[in-house]
Amino acid sequence: MTLQVSNLVGGYSQVPVLKDVNFDVKDGELVGLIGLNGAGKSTTINHIIGLLTPFRGSIKINGIGLNDDVKQYKAQIAYIPEQPIVYKELTLKEHLEMTMLAYGLDQDAAWKRAHDLLKLFRLDNKLDWFPDNFSKGMRQKVMIVCAFLTNAKLFIIDEPFLGLDPLAVNDLLNLISERKRQGASILMSTHVLDTAQRYCDRFVLLHDGQVRTEGTIEELRKLFPDAGDSLNDIYLTLAREGDAS
Amino acid sequence: MKQLFRQRLSTHLKEMMRYLRLVFNDYFVLALLFVIGGLGYYYSNALKQLHTGLWWAPLVIVGILLVSVQLGRFATLIEGPDYVFLLPKEAELYHYLRSGFRYSVSIAIAIQVLFWILLMPFVQVTMHATTTELYLLLASILILKLTWLNTDFARKYHLRQSWLASRFIFRLLVPVIALGLSVYINYWIGLIISLAALLASYFTRQNWANRSLDWTTMIDDENSRMHTVYQFFNLFTDVPTLQGSVKRRRYVDGILNRIKLIPRNTYLYLYAHGIVRDNEMSGLYVRLLVIGTLFLVFVKGALLPIFLSLLFVYLIGFQMIPFYFHFSDNAFVHVYPITNRYQLKSFQRVLLYLLNTVGVVFAVAVLAVNLATPVTFIGVIVGEVLEIWLFVYLYLPKRLARSERTR
Repeated sequence: MTLQVSNLVGGYSQVPVLKDVNFDVKDGELVGLIGLNGAGKSTTINHIIGLLTPFRGSIKINGIGLNDDVKQYKAQIAYIPEQPIVYKELTLKEHLEMTMLAYGLDQDAAWKRAHDLLKLFRLDNKLDWFPDNFSKGMRQKVMIVCAFLTNAKLFIIDEPFLGLDPLAVNDLLNLISERKRQGASILMSTHVLDTAQRYCDRFVLLHDGQVRTEGTIEELRKLFPDAGDSLNDIYLTLAREGDAS
Repeated sequence: MKQLFRQRLSTHLKEMMRYLRLVFNDYFVLALLFVIGGLGYYYSNALKQLHTGLWWAPLVIVGILLVSVQLGRFATLIEGPDYVFLLPKEAELYHYLRSGFRYSVSIAIAIQVLFWILLMPFVQVTMHATTTELYLLLASILILKLTWLNTDFARKYHLRQSWLASRFIFRLLVPVIALGLSVYINYWIGLIISLAALLASYFTRQNWANRSLDWTTMIDDENSRMHTVYQFFNLFTDVPTLQGSVKRRRYVDGILNRIKLIPRNTYLYLYAHGIVRDNEMSGLYVRLLVIGTLFLVFVKGALLPIFLSLLFVYLIGFQMIPFYFHFSDNAFVHVYPITNRYQLKSFQRVLLYLLNTVGVVFAVAVLAVNLATPVTFIGVIVGEVLEIWLFVYLYLPKRLARSERTR
């Protein structure tokens, strides 16, 4: 059991956005966090990475809560934000060094890995450039390279596909599969449902700050036999239902 | 982690030095020497007229020291991307922050000592304070400042007891009580109160230092601190990193809504909304307007008010000019099906409105103070009308045409 979110109530100010959210991500599993804009996906993620504190409920990674041991909790996470965020005054090379420093990675091994990743995303000739001047897609790639440089046990990926070129999307999915095989868990929020359907092992469908339903695609199909076969159809039915009720 | 702070600090100091060199250029230093000399002379003269037992003297002392205790914030030098890149290092960030704390303390101490030295003669004359008492006062403000900074430190963590980071308690309540008791009753009592607050705030450090960090607050705090620093430098030179922050200012909607929504007014709409909501622009405008008005209220003489009001109208107008290009980098204005024939006209209209407001406020101020000397207030009114007209319709188009070429 890697990530365990139980009875999470939380949000930005006094008004809770999340109302009693429960789900988990097991070892070697890719879970898709699906929901409309404002459903609470990013809020959930902000709680997991410790940007927000829960009003109630708990979040544990391999049994460790944030306030049990900050260091151990955080060392297990690698995070790719929805909006790429980079240091204005650091070059791409320095960003990678920063990551190695922060995660305490072995320099030689990490650089070897970094070069592979940079080549994969066609950034290997831009080591001395400033990512701040990159396009959104390229900055997104910087975030991906930095995250996959680490040996994190839990990857939190917030809407990774927007702005990435099709080749990069494919490469990212391969990277995710590779990490999954090595036993890492991945929580990914996205709106690109057909990609999610093909790659995610399980889905957590958020609506209005609550988990509407969760399960594998087969389980969802069984739950909503009239909705159709694809995740897209099931989700649309569910979202409309949720709005009607 | 300490290494990281040292590295950031050296970059930070280098940047600050660069700006300071720009601020303290030869002319400014010369002007500053005169101002300091003049103020020093005024201060020493004023001291001769003072004696003990003035009812307002203790209030002034408490007020000035209260202000001085607020100066010098906790410099963390944290940057936006840190919450992603330093995520796994969070536990060690305490050492980083402690380095920042020490640096902030050293600066804050310098500020407190400076204020204390400046205030010392005043305290001695009006309160008949002994040397020991003066040192006790210094110790109190230093301790209050240390508590203030420690509170700011605690704020960076997700606290269990939120009173530890209460700005009201540690920035206002405790200093007012401690300084008030010092001045009115006994300097020892003030010191004891300050010391108690410091101990209360310090002993809880173990409690919060290993809790999780409140990244959002920490990053916001640091950004707002740097913003203040840059804003200061921006008075003297252009600060490229100063990103305009925006405020809604609903109370101006009444004026803004009078703009008719027709294509010709596209730029008028943009400029009017932009200047009002852009904090740099509206801040500059309001600051200069207030300072100018204050000058005009307090300055005496037949010709000086005319000169001052014309100077301030020019200054305000001049500072607004760059806003003409504010939207040039925005792709939308190039996409809209409008010609920029009306761009200049719109900008002139906005500027005319702004400067006319300044003119009226200044005229009213001068009129109220110099009702006995018609030459002065008539001079101000005629001068302003002429100046604004020349500025908006002759100077501005020329100036913009020149900037357009060099852009």
